[in-house]
Amino acid sequence: MPDLSEYYQPQSLTAALELLAKSNGKLIPLAGGTDIVPAMGKGELKANGLVDLSKLSEIRRISMDDSEIKIGSLTTFAQIETSPLIQAKASLLADAAAAVGSPQIRTTGTIGGNIANASPAADTVTALVTLDAQARLDSIKGSRRVLVSELLCGVGKTNIHPQEIITEITFKIPSTGSKTGFIKLGRRKALAIARMNLAIIVTLDNGKISFARVGLGAVGPNPRRYPVLENSLVGQSPSESLIDEFAIEAEREVTRVLGSRPSAIYKCEAVKGIARDLLKKMFSDSGQGVV
Amino acid sequence: MAQFHLEMKVNGKAIALDIDPGLRLLDVLRDILHLTGTKEGCGEGECGACSVILDDELVDSCLILAPQAYGREVITIEGLALNGELDPYQQAFLEVGAVQCGYCTPGMILAARVLLNHKPKPSQQEIARAISGNLCRCTGYAKIVQGVEIAASIKETKEGVSRA
Amino acid sequence: MPEYSIIGKSVQRVDGPRKVSGQAQYAADLNIPGALCLKVLRSKVAHALVKEINVSEALKVPGVVQIFTHADIPGINSYGIIIKDQPALTNKVRFKGDAIALVAAQDEASAIIALSLIEVTLEELPPIYDVKAAMREDAPAIHDRGNSISAYRVKKGNVESALKQAEVIITGSYTTQRIEHCYIETEAGVAYMDNDLLVIKAGTQNPHYDRRDVARVLGLPMNKVRIIQTTTGGGFGGKLDISVQCFLGLAALKLGRPVKIAYDRHESFISTGKRHPFYIDYTTAADKEGKLSAVKVRIVGDTGAYASYGPATLLRAAVHATGPYEVPNVDIEASCVYTNNPFSGAMRGFGTPQMAFACESQMDLVAQAVNISPVEMRRRNIFQKGAVTATQQKLDASIGIGKTLEAAWEKALQVMPGLGDENI
Ligand SMILES: Cc1cc2nc3c(=O)[nH]c(=O)nc-3n(C[C@H](O)[C@H](O)[C@H](O)COP(=O)(O)OP(=O)(O)OC[C@H]3O[C@@H](n4cnc5c(N)ncnc54)[C@H](O)[C@@H]3O)c2cc1C
Ligand code: FES
Ligand code: FES
Repeated sequence: MPDLSEYYQPQSLTAALELLAKSNGKLIPLAGGTDIVPAMGKGELKANGLVDLSKLSEIRRISMDDSEIKIGSLTTFAQIETSPLIQAKASLLADAAAAVGSPQIRTTGTIGGNIANASPAADTVTALVTLDAQARLDSIKGSRRVLVSELLCGVGKTNIHPQEIITEITFKIPSTGSKTGFIKLGRRKALAIARMNLAIIVTLDNGKISFARVGLGAVGPNPRRYPVLENSLVGQSPSESLIDEFAIEAEREVTRVLGSRPSAIYKCEAVKGIARDLLKKMFSDSGQGVV
Repeated sequence: MAQFHLEMKVNGKAIALDIDPGLRLLDVLRDILHLTGTKEGCGEGECGACSVILDDELVDSCLILAPQAYGREVITIEGLALNGELDPYQQAFLEVGAVQCGYCTPGMILAARVLLNHKPKPSQQEIARAISGNLCRCTGYAKIVQGVEIAASIKETKEGVSRA
Repeated sequence: MPEYSIIGKSVQRVDGPRKVSGQAQYAADLNIPGALCLKVLRSKVAHALVKEINVSEALKVPGVVQIFTHADIPGINSYGIIIKDQPALTNKVRFKGDAIALVAAQDEASAIIALSLIEVTLEELPPIYDVKAAMREDAPAIHDRGNSISAYRVKKGNVESALKQAEVIITGSYTTQRIEHCYIETEAGVAYMDNDLLVIKAGTQNPHYDRRDVARVLGLPMNKVRIIQTTTGGGFGGKLDISVQCFLGLAALKLGRPVKIAYDRHESFISTGKRHPFYIDYTTAADKEGKLSAVKVRIVGDTGAYASYGPATLLRAAVHATGPYEVPNVDIEASCVYTNNPFSGAMRGFGTPQMAFACESQMDLVAQAVNISPVEMRRRNIFQKGAVTATQQKLDASIGIGKTLEAAWEKALQVMPGLGDENI
């Protein structure tokens, strides 16, 4: 059991930010706890004290204004997975949330925690970077917005300052008629950290792909977009042969990134499979994933 | 060491305790309240033996610090058969033989209960997904899925009767 | 069929109501007010001599009551189901996870701090992880008796001449992996003295054997040890071995106070028995109709640091190496070998699943070679009434395996529509 010398449960965001500001980096924010609690139990993480964000309902909600979706950082995977708004406007994110852990992890774990934890395999992060999502960070000094992809800087590393917390994640809704999708490869269907995950957005104009976003997770230190793969889609028409070419391109990219790492042999082969499965689903006529 | 004044509802009863805030919800339930029907199988979210219902949602009590349950309502396996009579889930699990060593059973039953609260007539796939965070090493799951199906029908009959 | 009141009917399990209501008490659920918490210091290296254990700093931790080592064992410091080769607290480390010291403290936190303060001086020895290396003449001995524990032979007919005459010979090498039982309940227990009677309540599959070994290790007569099996959250063979029992007994006896221990999942994984990894060389001979004429099998089982049920597992492996098939000429040898791996013991099937993997793979390969379907291959060789097994047992009563084969095939066609006909 961790020996905590301080524990705070602020009732408002301002109170939480004040605590963090005063603590000189000694206090760590606690959201759902799914990463922190077992890490403290195993002694992997030593925390002097915690600021428990769980009562801040102001940052636990999903909303839309104009062309933007806003998700409070404390929103759980279960809320995202079942949100009709997310399902309709960014189904890749709903699918990513649904792919996390187990029902119990999804009711507890939060999207803010998924970003801040900075795991190479974080499922919703792959969807978020593909959406070019931004994180809003607040401290008593003010707030800033950063691309999620720029917030992450290595395995378990972020640019979040100790006195800051992520309060909100925002992204532009993909343009009407776009198709989005997410696929995860795990050792089993539930409770498997992704061996790899892939998110794709494509917009079709007159039968040709006019816009594409491709994000891959568990390949580099953090999930990120792969412009080479995006370019391989733009200007093309959905077809069997495009799917094959894309799969080969994905294999090439993963080979380039992983080099001689032991996981390369498996991942280079596996990425072709998930790339094919996902594109096939997205190119089929079903209304699934259509914005 | 810090202290935390925890107030929550457990199985319908209001509880107030001063605790070490580093305790997990699981520790408070088992070691302080002696509700040992909630089990620890892994302590890291993999097995679901520690599942409890927190405000109508299924959670792993080994992943949550007790203070996070402040002001919330917890239901454990002991909260089901309150009047001494087994509830439909417990009855169904017994009937089909969904219980062997029984270590996963409390978590499984609570997972079933959350599912049926949201979805009174689930498909087999929905049942499988609802219990996907709960490991059972004895049964092979088939009987558990069957148990949930039977629980759904017992519940329907009972509720039908009580409504009539 | 006559109607019976019990036979042919489903009965509700007697412990069912307690289990579905959360009332059943597993070992970790037992609460004895004032019980001391026990924690085990385990080796991080696989092979070493324990030269010195210094507990003086650890004993200073507030809340720590006592720390035990091999020097504190009052009886004979060895237990084991078949061979008494496993010490309760060791002075020679034989695998990563071997128990070196036992801390009794008022609370878990102090016990954990104490673990980190125990100073152990080790003389490391070269670890042997590979069975073949362990079997070499010049391999360092893990136990005084040497690394090969036992060998079993099953011989029938004349294999060499059958091999000469065979129309088809298939040879394959098979290895199987170590498997953890992973019962959802980890090992736990409590113990206390009832006057001069030591009472141990623990999750176990083997209370009677536990009693014998605890009495031996503690130097007590059997009638002064009582083992009570608590509701047990799965075992699958893995709770046949001693786990927490000797620790509980030692501390309760020496301190005269109630004690409690519970392994977390990590400790359960590193310290308890596993399924034996097997290394199998298998040669099968048949005629061109697929009728088996001979098998020659060499099996080595990695029993790891301690024998546990190893000898019995390898005996079963030898006896079941031909599978449910009649083979006129048989030459089987199975050996059980120590290594510095985690120890292997009983697990569901007791050596037969490993053999089934090899034997059935061979059957498929022979079927392919003689161009018949895998099902037909089995039909032609399966035990019939009157068949003689590898160990020369005549099966003259009922034999159900043929019917089982057909029923399984029928079911497979039902649930796997893509399976097609027999010949695919
Ligand atoms: C059994 C199990 C299975 C899992 N499976 C998956 C999976 O399939 N896919 C996946 O992606 N993840 C998985 N996870 C990881 C975990 O659930 C997620 O990373 C989750 O999003 C973490 O969120 P949390 O709210 O629980 O974070 P916490 O544990 O509360 O915090 C995690 C970290 O983020 C920081 N933090 C949290 N919120 C904020 C904030 N708003 N601002 C700044 N910092 C913050 C904390 O200080 C801490 O460092 C799994 C975890 C477990 C235990
Ligand atoms: S003990 Fe909580 S999930 Fe296993
Ligand atoms: S009944 Fe034993 S683990 Fe499920």
